[in-house]
Amino acid sequence: MAIAKPTTEQPVENRPILSYPAAELLSHERFQVGAHLLVAFFALALGIIMGPFQTFRRSPWLQTVSEDLIGQPITTPIFTYYYQALTLHGVLNALVFTTFFIMGISYFVVQRSLQRPLKSTVLLWISFWLMTVGLVLTAWAIVTGQANVLFTFYPPMLAHWAFYAGLVLVIVGTWIGAYNVFRTYLGWRDDNPGERVPLATYGILANFVMWFTASLGVAVEVLTMLLPMSLGMVDTTDPQLARVLFWFFGHPLVYFWLIPAYISWYTMLPKQLGVPLFSDTMARIAFAMIAIFSIPIGVHHLFADPGVSETAKIYHSALTYVVAFPSLLTAFNVAATIERSGRKRGATNLIDWTWKQPWGNPVVAAQFCGMFLFIFGGISGIMNASFNMNQALHNTTWVVGHFHTTLAGAVFLTYISILFWIMPMIRQRKLWRPRWATAHVYTWFFGMLMFAGFMGRGGMAGATRRTDMGAPGAYFSPEIAMWMNWTALSGMILLVSSFLLYAVIFGTLFASEEKATVNAPIQKDTPNEFIPAFLENWRLWAFIIITTNVVMWLPVLINSIDLVNGFWSLGYPGAAR
Amino acid sequence: MSENKIHIDEYEARWIVISSAVLGVFFASLLLGAVLFNVNPPDSTSTVNPLKLDETIFANPGVRHMGGNQYDVVILAKMWGYTPTEIRLPVGAEATFHVTSLDIIHGFYIEKHNVNFELIPGHVAETRVTFDEVGEWRILCHQYCGRGHQIMHMPLIIEDTDAEAVALDAETGQE
Repeated sequence: MAIAKPTTEQPVENRPILSYPAAELLSHERFQVGAHLLVAFFALALGIIMGPFQTFRRSPWLQTVSEDLIGQPITTPIFTYYYQALTLHGVLNALVFTTFFIMGISYFVVQRSLQRPLKSTVLLWISFWLMTVGLVLTAWAIVTGQANVLFTFYPPMLAHWAFYAGLVLVIVGTWIGAYNVFRTYLGWRDDNPGERVPLATYGILANFVMWFTASLGVAVEVLTMLLPMSLGMVDTTDPQLARVLFWFFGHPLVYFWLIPAYISWYTMLPKQLGVPLFSDTMARIAFAMIAIFSIPIGVHHLFADPGVSETAKIYHSALTYVVAFPSLLTAFNVAATIERSGRKRGATNLIDWTWKQPWGNPVVAAQFCGMFLFIFGGISGIMNASFNMNQALHNTTWVVGHFHTTLAGAVFLTYISILFWIMPMIRQRKLWRPRWATAHVYTWFFGMLMFAGFMGRGGMAGATRRTDMGAPGAYFSPEIAMWMNWTALSGMILLVSSFLLYAVIFGTLFASEEKATVNAPIQKDTPNEFIPAFLENWRLWAFIIITTNVVMWLPVLINSIDLVNGFWSLGYPGAAR
Repeated sequence: MSENKIHIDEYEARWIVISSAVLGVFFASLLLGAVLFNVNPPDSTSTVNPLKLDETIFANPGVRHMGGNQYDVVILAKMWGYTPTEIRLPVGAEATFHVTSLDIIHGFYIEKHNVNFELIPGHVAETRVTFDEVGEWRILCHQYCGRGHQIMHMPLIIEDTDAEAVALDAETGQE
């Protein structure tokens, strides 16, 4: 095996393992992870800034103030067309930032926890450049105003073909990355028969198994329906079928974001707190359950669709409750681990372990804040998944509030936590102004808590999501107006918070001078507890995943294919201009 | 490897039981809501060819009195508005909505009434609603449908006329 700079100082037992140094990154790791993070945070910079200005745009009070002061309504910066800015916000933050971040971190975690290099560096760079070219194509289509279709891109509304081609390249890039990771794992498997794979790698593998299965849905949708239509090869399409294929992919997509956050909570946070994880086995069970149950539940995004039967809606609602279960397991496991940390720091009674924690450490605080937001995310998610409660909430701003506590809460803050230790390792300089980093975490937390709460209340009052409420002719009731004004306040906090984040990033990259002394919080060994072998039986997982999805999705798919009246919807490229 | 059995902590076992029970109760209450209070999502009912809407009920959208307090409300959505442009019904009316889209995906959401559809071209969304309260609400498009999405809404006016009285008149032909 060719390795850049192996050190053989700590051979574990009799295994001929090339251990990685704890505090320094090898040069190939710096390039690999650094390149992915650079693209991720470059995309996020543009995506994140659109958010606060959307809240300003939707606030009637701020609009009046703006009219008085500068004589014109508030718009989003640079891209003044609301729906273009909204498309950028969704695509760059939810699709591009997350995907690049996850790929970079996955490579890092797998190499470090298995203590072996990736199977192929060439494949890694092929994957990276495919994804980057895809990003450029997609971003070009959006920036030039030819793809104002939001990040769900439902047909018959059509975007420029470059938008879809770019997305295909991003997804194919992730497949190559996933293949590379799996080959690396199989190599480790051959060298370590009978061993259990470290938990962190187990989570990454579960994530890629799920991601590959799920992305088949959107790949079929884009390649057979959207791309041919946007290229003018076909004139008509079936919008209901497209939605079914999209949401086969859409729900596992959110778990694709979440599993890396769980990996951080399960394997990195215990190291950062200096305590062992409460239960390694239950963590594996949670990962396996998520990989299985996050796909056959996607109809809960289609509760309001007239082309999906009520029976399917009830079944998928039931299984959605099942996928809430691994998150409840996680809640217990992680809370019990955090309690150990509190006890270690002198906590003695029932609740004092909650505050005897390193709350001033941005890396730890970001994860705690993310978890706290995720409590609201989980509860509101169970409400959305209830097929009859959804009647009151579907497509209102409530839903936007919900996924800002999950994606922009738990997931985002945990990624930022990872950034705060991995960026100093890559740059080999200390984190610049850790207090600013901590300030970012808490302003983000309170801003997002307020935003989600106000959006939720607005939605209950009847505010619809994805609506340019700042444009003339938009509908407002007094109640909606009040809640939208409040969200503008949270938008201001989040704007300040975003500037703090990028100040810390630029500071660490260019202004920090002290040498970094961070250790990568990666678990390399498995604890001394019984872990059943079936958890690593990937053939069994493949069988279960295929069976559950055939049972849960095939009826929905057949139901949505209407051979008499389907496939007759004309494409509308003009609608998105 | 201490023993060949998954170790589950005593408290964790209790947590698992409680979590499962809570989720079970939630799901049972959903089913009860569907059965007892008839709160249901739209079922897949009928399809139409979006290119041949002229041959269907959507050729003439509007409110139709079906006798008694029964009304049929046929609505066609398109970029960026609904046909008809307002809905008037007497208080007490039990209205069956039939809604579809002519062009792209739109939304159909009646403020404060738990009526909530995606309008997919080719599919007819159907639901039955009883209007017990006099007042004016908005019917809004809640799915992004392009440049004019935000102006796509219309009033729903529930008037203080007796639905049954109108119905009697209708039967005697004196409406």
